[in-house]
Amino acid sequence: MSKLLMGVAAAALLTLLPQVATADDGMATPGKDVSMVLLPKFLGILPFDQAHKGAEEAAQELKNPAKLQFLGPTPQNSVAGQIEIVTNATTQGVKAILLSNNSGDQIVPAAKAAQAKGIKVVTWDSPIPSSEGEDVFVAQVDFGDIGKVMADMTLNLTGPEGGEFAILSASPDAANQNAWIAAMKVALKDAKYAKLKLDDIVYGNDESEKSYTQAQALLDKYPKIKVIMAPTSVGIVAAAKALQDEKLCDKVKISGLGLPSEMLAYTKNGCAPEFALWSFVDLGYLAYTTAYQLATGTLEAKEGAKFKAGRMGEFTITKDPTRAKGLRVLMGPFTIYNKDNVEAAAK
Amino acid sequence: MNSLRRWETLLFVLLLAVVSLNATESRYYLGVGNFINLFQLSIEKSIVALMMAFVIIGAEIDLSVASVMGLAACVMAYTFQQGAPLPLAILLALAAGVLAGLNNAFWIAYVGLPSLAVTLAGLIGYRGLARILVEDRAIGGFPLWFNALGQQGLIGPLTLSIMIFVILFVFFAVLLHASAFGRLVYVVGSNVEAARYSGVRVARVKTALFAGSACVSALAGVLYAARLGSVRGDMAEGFELDVITTVLLGGVSIFGGKGNMVGVGLSLLLILNLRNGMGLADITGNTQNYVIGGLLILSVLVPNIYQDIQNKWKGRER
Amino acid sequence: MARVNWLRRHVRPEQLRELSLLALIVVAVMFFGSMIEGYYSFRTFNRIASSVAIIGVVAVGQTLVVLTRNIDLSVGSIAGFTAFFVGTLIANHNGVNPLLAVAISIAIGGALGVVNGVLVAWGRVPAVVVTLGTLAIYRGVLVDLSGAKTVTTDSLPQWLVDLPRLNIAPVGDLDVRPLFVVAVVIVILFQFGMGYLSFARRFYAIGSNPEAAQLIGLPLKRVVFIAFVVSGALAGLAGFMTLARFGNITVEAGRGLELNVVAAVVVGGVNIFGGSGRVTGAMLGAIMIGTLEQSLFRLGVSEFWRDALLGLLILLAVASDAVILKRLNRIWARTELKRIDSLAERAP
Repeated sequence: MSKLLMGVAAAALLTLLPQVATADDGMATPGKDVSMVLLPKFLGILPFDQAHKGAEEAAQELKNPAKLQFLGPTPQNSVAGQIEIVTNATTQGVKAILLSNNSGDQIVPAAKAAQAKGIKVVTWDSPIPSSEGEDVFVAQVDFGDIGKVMADMTLNLTGPEGGEFAILSASPDAANQNAWIAAMKVALKDAKYAKLKLDDIVYGNDESEKSYTQAQALLDKYPKIKVIMAPTSVGIVAAAKALQDEKLCDKVKISGLGLPSEMLAYTKNGCAPEFALWSFVDLGYLAYTTAYQLATGTLEAKEGAKFKAGRMGEFTITKDPTRAKGLRVLMGPFTIYNKDNVEAAAK
Repeated sequence: MNSLRRWETLLFVLLLAVVSLNATESRYYLGVGNFINLFQLSIEKSIVALMMAFVIIGAEIDLSVASVMGLAACVMAYTFQQGAPLPLAILLALAAGVLAGLNNAFWIAYVGLPSLAVTLAGLIGYRGLARILVEDRAIGGFPLWFNALGQQGLIGPLTLSIMIFVILFVFFAVLLHASAFGRLVYVVGSNVEAARYSGVRVARVKTALFAGSACVSALAGVLYAARLGSVRGDMAEGFELDVITTVLLGGVSIFGGKGNMVGVGLSLLLILNLRNGMGLADITGNTQNYVIGGLLILSVLVPNIYQDIQNKWKGRER
Repeated sequence: MARVNWLRRHVRPEQLRELSLLALIVVAVMFFGSMIEGYYSFRTFNRIASSVAIIGVVAVGQTLVVLTRNIDLSVGSIAGFTAFFVGTLIANHNGVNPLLAVAISIAIGGALGVVNGVLVAWGRVPAVVVTLGTLAIYRGVLVDLSGAKTVTTDSLPQWLVDLPRLNIAPVGDLDVRPLFVVAVVIVILFQFGMGYLSFARRFYAIGSNPEAAQLIGLPLKRVVFIAFVVSGALAGLAGFMTLARFGNITVEAGRGLELNVVAAVVVGGVNIFGGSGRVTGAMLGAIMIGTLEQSLFRLGVSEFWRDALLGLLILLAVASDAVILKRLNRIWARTELKRIDSLAERAP
């Protein structure tokens, strides 16, 4: 009798153990069928393709039998398209949506409807500003830090005597770029940057042609300008070409966030001696892993939760200091590229 | 068979085909929630399309509808943010729409400029005005009742927008087919000179068309803001193309004077179901666009070819 | 006085339309010159010239189409498709002969135009339907085939990257850039062609009254077909020019071009119902809009005010053009009637 009781107790303990062992452990259990949708701002540019690559890498490692759906709208229908994809994904009952948000708070109703159905909404690259409808934001870098880095690079390029500069951004409604520019303005208040003067902020809408003409217009309007800061991978390339075409590369410099493979020539010829970026591949990998763990229950979206993200190491969910509310997983530092390391990175 | 009735039959057959395809392709298709979504995702465009049918039948075009949507939403958001109570802000938004429509109408009906040019300028200009008000901010924080009206069902699962759409559809169908005004629109659209010489107040008809178009667009803009819960300067950008495509697919002739509401309604259902089915099958927006583009062309081409073959077979030369 | 009378008797108001548009451009330039310092410089000229060149080339083709009472909304997609396709081709085969590359661009554009032409002329599908459809189809196919790549200047040969900066015939400080020269040459070529070739007269006839044109035996289908092929070919050329000017081509290249081109054509006085208007008018329309856009940039007007002002200015340009034309028509009609009256009096 007692042996039977012991056996039952042991069996009970054994069944309990795995739950106790994995709950809040932060270790992903591979092999679970978790249907996920990777939803970038829009399809058609390299950074998002790289994120897709990283996500697929994570999918392989985690042996998820459900194929990752890589869906995105066209650039000119980005907002309505993203809302549509989130709504349809909710109908299909996927387990997680990985969203690089281009729709500001307009996606909140659709995101909340997804959450109501038990779907995990993980944002990456660009969060939902009010953080409503979002479980956690996987941030590539600290948004406040980007402001400082942009200010530093500007000061570096103008030299200690300072000077005029302008910002060429993406869309006037892009949450991440607006946050970075706001952070830069805060950073500029420091006495160290007193000699820098921000002339203008113009918007290129992530369109190659518009960014080019906006950069040209900046060069026309502000003849004393020394730096154009472009925190957008499409804008920085177009502005660099504009600079090169105007033969002004020795007087004006370009900086910002750009892909090494696209900026290679401009860094080597001096138009863009310094710029920064992070790895989109890593970002996709991390976002996927985070979503997978959230969806399978090995991770809870609350402050202080720790988890292990495969090859990238350990991460902790914290409060997002750059937004009023919201949780964040901070991926890490970014790389500053100049002529020493750009060629290796461009491969 | 009357060529118009042939068009509607074709659309109906296509609609049935698409619905059955969707039902077999995706198990999520046949569900109340999905059908509501199907309408909701494009409800504002559908509302504007109903009015656009009038405009095109009247042999005119209004390219500024999407910009008026954005402008109305931005006027509402801006005045709300400045402290106006939301109902007042909404009224101001609708008033802005009427003003925009009257502006269009003045240049087109009284000065005599081509509607393509005037509404093209409006497309650029009204969007610009919207941007002046909102700049690069997003304005949200509307009271809960407003968001609820846009996002949740009012009667059962049907949202306010869907109900407005149905009411407008019936109203416009009656207006177009059973009222004097509707007949005037057809007359002005078929032959504006003949209409003028017959004593029709062409300028007044055109004013009604453009004022109505802008008014309906403004309403759609407010509904869109309610559904999204926040307003940005680029709201509804590019919608005019979809609206015009829907109306043309509905059998309305771009040259004016031909077309009916049933066709437009069928075309709406067809496009909405097609997009929904493709979305559920994880087909991206880009592919959806060119499927619809191809459908648009084929919808005119195939009947033409069929007619040619019929004529040849009957030994008749056109 | 006699000379003015001669003018009134021999020159029709429509022919003065371009002059009135030119006058408006001069007024605009003077207005902006008074508000922007350093405006009257060759730099401004080059800016406007570069942006106008691409639109102008496509506007020439669009004029031909609009004359026949049709419209081509797919030009943006054709230009984008060509820019991307040829850009990728050149990137993979850097040694391609430049002239061959240009020829390929024109050929691709023409081929895409053939599809439009066949559907409109023989399929009897209205042009707006066809080109709305091909706008989506060409763009869609481009995105699907492109694999989300961007053509970057890195991969392009030096001659192409340097092309926009090339100085063909420096006159003092004035840089005569190739893209602008191409646009001007095309406009002059087509203007002479449309003005003097009897074949060209058919475009006008068909646009004014298609039924009558058909009744007198004009090859309606063939002329409309040719209009679309030319429009497509010129859009293809514009695609190459876009590749040369911007270097970095994404799958979105050329998006929205059709709007600018239609605006230029409409402002340029080409009648949207067909039958009247000239290629030079369309070019002037492009110049007017380009001048307004560039000048608003320079004016220091906030980004957010620019589009509102642009819309207003386009409206005013079209309106004043129409009003001037009406006035001229009235004056012309009055003088003609007076002349006829005086002739009638003299007759027994």
